[in-house]
Amino acid sequence: MAVIDSSSIPRKTREENRQARTAWGLTGPALALMILILLVPVAVAGALSFTNYSLGNTGFDWVGIKNYDRLFSRSTYEKMFIATFTYVVVVVPVSVALGLGAALLVHSLGRVGDVYKTIFFLPVMATLLAMAIVWEFMLHPTIGVINQTLELSCGTLLEVIPFLANGCADGFPLWLGDRDYAIWVLCFIGIWQGFGFNMVLYLAGLTAVHRELYHAAEMDGAKSAWERFRLVTWPALGPTTVFVVTISCIRAFQVFDTVEAFWPQGGGPNKSTYVMMFAIFEKGVQQNLIGIGSAITMLFLVFVMFLTLIQRWLVERKVHY
Amino acid sequence: MADLSITSVTKRFGDTEVLKGVTLDVADAEFVSLVGPSGCGKSTLLRIIAGLEDPSSGEISIGGEAVTQVRAADRNLSMVFQSYALYPHLTVAENIAVPLRMRSLSSGQRLPFVGSFLPGAREKRAYIASTVSDAAEMLEIKALLDRKPGQLSGGQRQRVALGRALVRNPAAFLLDEPLSNLDAKLRVQTRAEIAELHRRLNATFIYVTHDQVEAMTMSDRIAVMMDGEILQCDAPNIIYEDPDDIRVAEFIGSPKINILPVELQSGALSLFGRILGEVRESTQSGVFQLGLRPEMLRLARTNPRLSGKVAHVENLGSEIYAQIVLSDHTARVTLRAAASERWRLDLGASVGLDFNVEDALIFDAEGKRRRRIELEATQPFEAA
Repeated sequence: MAVIDSSSIPRKTREENRQARTAWGLTGPALALMILILLVPVAVAGALSFTNYSLGNTGFDWVGIKNYDRLFSRSTYEKMFIATFTYVVVVVPVSVALGLGAALLVHSLGRVGDVYKTIFFLPVMATLLAMAIVWEFMLHPTIGVINQTLELSCGTLLEVIPFLANGCADGFPLWLGDRDYAIWVLCFIGIWQGFGFNMVLYLAGLTAVHRELYHAAEMDGAKSAWERFRLVTWPALGPTTVFVVTISCIRAFQVFDTVEAFWPQGGGPNKSTYVMMFAIFEKGVQQNLIGIGSAITMLFLVFVMFLTLIQRWLVERKVHY
Repeated sequence: MADLSITSVTKRFGDTEVLKGVTLDVADAEFVSLVGPSGCGKSTLLRIIAGLEDPSSGEISIGGEAVTQVRAADRNLSMVFQSYALYPHLTVAENIAVPLRMRSLSSGQRLPFVGSFLPGAREKRAYIASTVSDAAEMLEIKALLDRKPGQLSGGQRQRVALGRALVRNPAAFLLDEPLSNLDAKLRVQTRAEIAELHRRLNATFIYVTHDQVEAMTMSDRIAVMMDGEILQCDAPNIIYEDPDDIRVAEFIGSPKINILPVELQSGALSLFGRILGEVRESTQSGVFQLGLRPEMLRLARTNPRLSGKVAHVENLGSEIYAQIVLSDHTARVTLRAAASERWRLDLGASVGLDFNVEDALIFDAEGKRRRRIELEATQPFEAA
């Protein structure tokens, strides 16, 4: 008996070792890739954000938190934060609400809804850079379709609207060249481009709503569409909404191509559309200031990480029943 | 509480006619089951009564008032759904409170936070809370009030769905196969509880099921539906003992009733060439169908009317079901025998069967019951 006992214990640990080795072997490739293409670049960027490194230089100096200090003290970066947050705060709620509204309408239509689905989704599929060029033509102050259409109202009853009256008297806005309008035009295009995506996500969420719940709501006395929406649809769409809001936030933080297409030199009139992604591109790539570019990147990472954590917390706590 | 009447209701989905002119009157405080195989239109009829579906033609009235044009929310009916349809984001207490909140609170009073400060809201909320707690007590789910439906078992969800239905005083309760998602044991228990609930509330119940046992055990009357029609609506014992139609006789009763072809010629009814009896009244000659419940058959040693071999035996402990292939004929009959007769029912054993001719149900070739054919048994075999 003693012989069997002493041999069985090492055999068991050998077996465990073998399993552990297999486990590490199988996790290895994924782990290596994650370290190589995610964690190392983040760590390098983090390290570079404390230096004054430029591409092509042989060495660099550690500058401590100087880069971050600059981010929070210079007016350029203040404008960057204002532009970025204005964009996020406007585009996210509006594109989520429009996406939900469009999804509810399309969902109620049945067959004809497919046509609208395609129409609303087209901007999502199109290349934003190409669309931006089209928008640039449309928004041109003199030859653009938009201002020409607005001019048609001059001399008509529509002139009672102050905006049109002012436009007819002093000329219509320059849109992309006007620092009061530029960021709102950017927001508008962001919403136009993004809400179709949210609509598709909401449509998927709507198919999962149990039809019998609407009947139960009707029997329980929920008479108006709003009451049914509050009682059945909105709670059922909770998980979808959390996902849609998070993804919209991240996409809004990432806005870059329209800014680059409209204002390749310097982020709009008076830097009113100087969004974070563009700032990273301008500092880190165009001006080869890797240190400050990395600092903005780290800040960007913090925002996105923060949003993701909120999403995880909400999904786990609040919206799964 | 109110009576309910359905007058020649039809329903068409495209070209298919699901309901073909259904007429049914339900008295106040009556428990009526709609029973039938799946696809017979019973759930559609219930949804038309509820107002969730519009009839193609016909009238519905509740308590003497025509409600065909009235929307479901205004008909004052309660419904328990097959899937229970509980709101997943609300707790049990909130689920049960929904019908009361929707009907007694104004939309402003329903608002979170602000709502409770509006005039009159406090009293109404207190009333709702106490009513919900009474309903929960009646269904013994008080301990579950703070849970969400996702944390409940099937039986508990079913109780919550019942609670949501009975928390207000509706004109009638509509139940759409409420027990079909429960396991067999729980089903038997809940069956008794629903019947008891009906007695206690003294309310009108319309209960849809495909399970004849549920219909037989709970109802005051059973409406047997098939192919979009009500074939017969009567008390359970009449449905079983005195069916109008061969389809009713076949659907109700387990094991199924035995149907054998019989021939009427010159006043005498014969089964497989043997004279069963004389017909008192003169009736046209022709082929008829003889219905024999499994318990009508008994084992006979001498002069059996039918004989055959045992093909299959099911022993249920208290009784035995045996399938017997009749000799020289392909027909199979099912026999219900007492457990004490087990020794005579070995597989392959030859047995003789007898029955009282007066008990047999006679249907014509179309399946309609022929009550006017009364048989006077001639028993030449036993007399000999």
